[in-house]
Amino acid sequence: MAVRMAVRGRGRGRGVRRAGKQLHGGWITYTILIIFTLGSLLPLIWTAIAASRTSTRLSETPPPFWFGGNLMDNLGEAWDGANMGLALANTVIVAGAITLGTVLFSTIAGFAFAKLRFRFKTLLLLLVIGTMMVPPQLSVVPLFMAIAELQWTNQLQAVILPGLVSAFGVFFMRQYLVEALPTELIEAARVDGASSLRVVWHVVFPIARPAMAVLAMLTFVFAWNEFFWPIIALTQDNPTVQVALTGLPQGYATDRSVIMAGALLGTLPLLAAFTIFGKQIVGGIMQGAVKG
Amino acid sequence: MTELTETAAPSTGEEGAAPAGERRLDKRAARRSRRYQRDVKWSPYAFIAPFFLFFGAFGLFPLLYTGWASLHRVSLNDPNHMEWAGLHNFTRLMDDEFFWNALQNTFTIGIISTVPQLAMALGLAHLLNYRVRGSMFFRVAALTPYATSVAAATLVFAMLYGRDYGMINWALGLVGIDSVDWENGDWTSQIAISTIVIWRWTGYNALIYLAAMQAVPHDLYESAALDGASRWQQFIHVTIPSLRPTILFTVVVSTIGATQLFGEPLLFSGTSGAAGGADHQYQTLGLFLYEKGWFELNLGRASAIAWTMFLILILIGLVNWLISWRLKKSEGA
Amino acid sequence: MAVRTRTPRTFHRAAASLAALTLAAGLSAGCAADDEEPGSGKGGEGKTTITVGVFGVFGLKEAGLYKEYEKANPNIVIKQNSIERVDQYYPGLLTHLASGSGLSDIQAVEVNNINEVVSQHADKFEDLGKAPGVKKDNFLSWKWDQATADGKTIGLGTDIGPMGICYRKDLFKKAGLPTDREEVGKLWAGDWEKYIDAGADYMKKAPAGTAFVDSGASIYNGASSGYETRYYDESGKVIYKDSEGVQASWNLAMDAIKGKMTAKYKQFTPQWDQGYANGKFATVSCPPWMLGYIKDKAGKKADDQWDVAQAPKPGNWGGSFLTVPSAGKNKKEAAKLAAWLTAPEQQAKLFEKQGSFPSSQAAFELPAVADAKHTYFDDAPIGKIFADAAKSIPTLVLGPKDQPILQQITDIGILQVEQQGKSPDEGWKAAEKKIDDLLEQ
Repeated sequence: MAVRMAVRGRGRGRGVRRAGKQLHGGWITYTILIIFTLGSLLPLIWTAIAASRTSTRLSETPPPFWFGGNLMDNLGEAWDGANMGLALANTVIVAGAITLGTVLFSTIAGFAFAKLRFRFKTLLLLLVIGTMMVPPQLSVVPLFMAIAELQWTNQLQAVILPGLVSAFGVFFMRQYLVEALPTELIEAARVDGASSLRVVWHVVFPIARPAMAVLAMLTFVFAWNEFFWPIIALTQDNPTVQVALTGLPQGYATDRSVIMAGALLGTLPLLAAFTIFGKQIVGGIMQGAVKG
Repeated sequence: MTELTETAAPSTGEEGAAPAGERRLDKRAARRSRRYQRDVKWSPYAFIAPFFLFFGAFGLFPLLYTGWASLHRVSLNDPNHMEWAGLHNFTRLMDDEFFWNALQNTFTIGIISTVPQLAMALGLAHLLNYRVRGSMFFRVAALTPYATSVAAATLVFAMLYGRDYGMINWALGLVGIDSVDWENGDWTSQIAISTIVIWRWTGYNALIYLAAMQAVPHDLYESAALDGASRWQQFIHVTIPSLRPTILFTVVVSTIGATQLFGEPLLFSGTSGAAGGADHQYQTLGLFLYEKGWFELNLGRASAIAWTMFLILILIGLVNWLISWRLKKSEGA
Repeated sequence: MAVRTRTPRTFHRAAASLAALTLAAGLSAGCAADDEEPGSGKGGEGKTTITVGVFGVFGLKEAGLYKEYEKANPNIVIKQNSIERVDQYYPGLLTHLASGSGLSDIQAVEVNNINEVVSQHADKFEDLGKAPGVKKDNFLSWKWDQATADGKTIGLGTDIGPMGICYRKDLFKKAGLPTDREEVGKLWAGDWEKYIDAGADYMKKAPAGTAFVDSGASIYNGASSGYETRYYDESGKVIYKDSEGVQASWNLAMDAIKGKMTAKYKQFTPQWDQGYANGKFATVSCPPWMLGYIKDKAGKKADDQWDVAQAPKPGNWGGSFLTVPSAGKNKKEAAKLAAWLTAPEQQAKLFEKQGSFPSSQAAFELPAVADAKHTYFDDAPIGKIFADAAKSIPTLVLGPKDQPILQQITDIGILQVEQQGKSPDEGWKAAEKKIDDLLEQ
């Protein structure tokens, strides 16, 4: 089939070029997108509704479908009950550092795995993938022993440094670059006498940009929501948001509306960051990676 | 796993380094060429070094410790005290019905959560790749489930699936269907948990696909269109083949994620304990491991479960590789 | 260059803003950390920070006890680390104990875990029996003994859970049962069988859609906590299969389930909360700490409907201890604080504000306990009711695996019968299999 042929024949003697235009979506597209969006947002909206009610009201039937008047009270209680100011600052540092490190390390390692030749490449790649398979629940015990040995308990690096081991990121960048980075581009740069570092900076990074943006966003969110390890490594003296939230239950019984308010407090900065930076980060995905 | 094992790098420069027909061998060029050779030879190691440095410290050590612990009797009460047990922990697993039950649950939940999730993500990415108004909004919205913590998401879904007062049963009641005791049925509980997984991860995978779709050269679509291919045919014959490495990536990651599934079934029951339902009807391997290690404090057995999961994944990888290898061979023939 | 690629400006901008944001956050956190310094260090201005690790809703902070202690001791700052779920708190504590790092100065331990801590980790804790301000005679002797091994007392009792039965008067009335708490107590005084009989009576005229009791687990917990031996005998042998207490309590729960007098809830789930809110059951086994829970979940709608009566037999459900790990930085100050927090006056305050019943018998005589009434429960004299129960609680024989054994019986065994329709035999066998499996390391 012709189409198939076209696909197979790609990548030889042809500069990669993207036309600037894209297909427009029709009404079916919009309908499906809106349904998806509603499905995605409803549980979050309901979290906000629950956060605006009392714990008692949440237990009643039918459950509340609209906002009540307790939002500010609950948010305030969650803010004071969990050391939220420090927690948010800590989380931005932790997630930011993990994201910067992960994206950088993953991109260069992913590039090496995708396009360069070196010894034991396949074996090392399999090792990387193997790392992803160790269930994180179990790494916690040996990891904590190591952290305790280093006397890092309750310090942010105890969460940041193990977070930099992103086999996922390396694998992700490798899979992206294998297809997206034409080998001729590297060769051409080489012919011009560019060093490997220059190749990375001027060829790999620009082409990897959409994937880097996605990886950055995914890593940031993951680091933000991670709690299984931080809960062991940190305490509420120096918490991340998720650690702080586990300290929320107060009063007589677990107050679910305050818990929901806490969950909201933990998620909102993330969503705010999406909307502010999203335009630049996600927006980067839309623009052509390489301009001829 | 074709894309994984092929060496995708044709030589990256020997030819470029020694341009043919060059006569003058001045020292500068020679030095430059030597430096260049060194660069080509060693830079790959420099590029992977940062990752493997951290990996050695914080990834390999837990892996090896877990392997060592799996061969011992060791309790969380005193992790430093190990008593050699040989393969006891593994043989004990083989005739542990709870292990097989968890394995089966992991498999079924994995299938009913991963397949629809990836298919929907592909479709969603395709739609997001169109030029649509408010595309930014749709994209951010697609990612909100991923941004929601597992705890909050599971709490909301557990309420939706409630037996007496859940909104889903209420909606079923409107169309005349009797209430379902979601948590207590084998299939119903697994479906309920799968929907949490699907809800949280579809947008995430869609974004990954979207990034890859952006890298597909547009002239491929143009030539396909010239050949008279419809949008659907373009999707099938241009988009999907171009996305193969990415699809493979998401399949691998989802498989690993499904094998380790843990937070959702843990929190779905609403109280402490990691049984995964009264009849363990939604206990996954991840949860089983957690129960053994953190609830029964049996670190040795938990480590054995972890390594068994590890080996299962490697097995899946091997089978996958064999199949694609056979396919490739028959295709080439 | 043959190939000229361009990095669009937006990317630089995004990267730059991300970096700036991280930097700014780093700086602000640095400042925040500086502000904290006087509190978090040992030195700064001569203040000592004592950290207290607790789980769930522990109440010490809510009752204002930390503030009071800080006021009386201006050189002390108290910080609390709390983790919601005990099943995350306890393994974390064990991990921290094993490495001697990451521990709070004071660590709370739940009664179902205390035996394991005492029997396996006594060497990692301070002997609080000799700490200044600790008076052994203040505590109920069985509570004291639970945290003592070989003359070393590593935990001081905070609260206990003497059992009562909470019941709804409106539902009892409709079902033709007495509503006065004295008479209700007499309905089943001395025998849990009579409680089941009352349940049968209730079900004959039960208001539509309601059940006599919330769950089989409620009956099992209530009944089994009145026996001296349950899962272990005095020598530490596992005897749950032949234990009279376990068998009798299991059979009671099965009778209730067979008689369809349970509302089939799993306790402490959102569904259970909804059961309270909608008045779906008439009774529940009720230690003092449950009162606040009921008030919170049943809410204004059920104001003045709930009351509390004596349980068929006295028993204890729940309660905790405060321990001081030897690896802590401020052992001396921590021991002092633990002694103060568990002294009769403070236990009485904790009861007054939080409903955690004192393990200090000296506190029973204090007016804050002796005269305590609960307005939500129709001014029931809860101080008297629970103190009476507390005085007759038998000395329970504990074992290291009490917690997981109990949980298999209620969450596997009973739930299989109650919610999944299996036979009592099948349910028991399933629980037994799990228990044997977890006991074999």
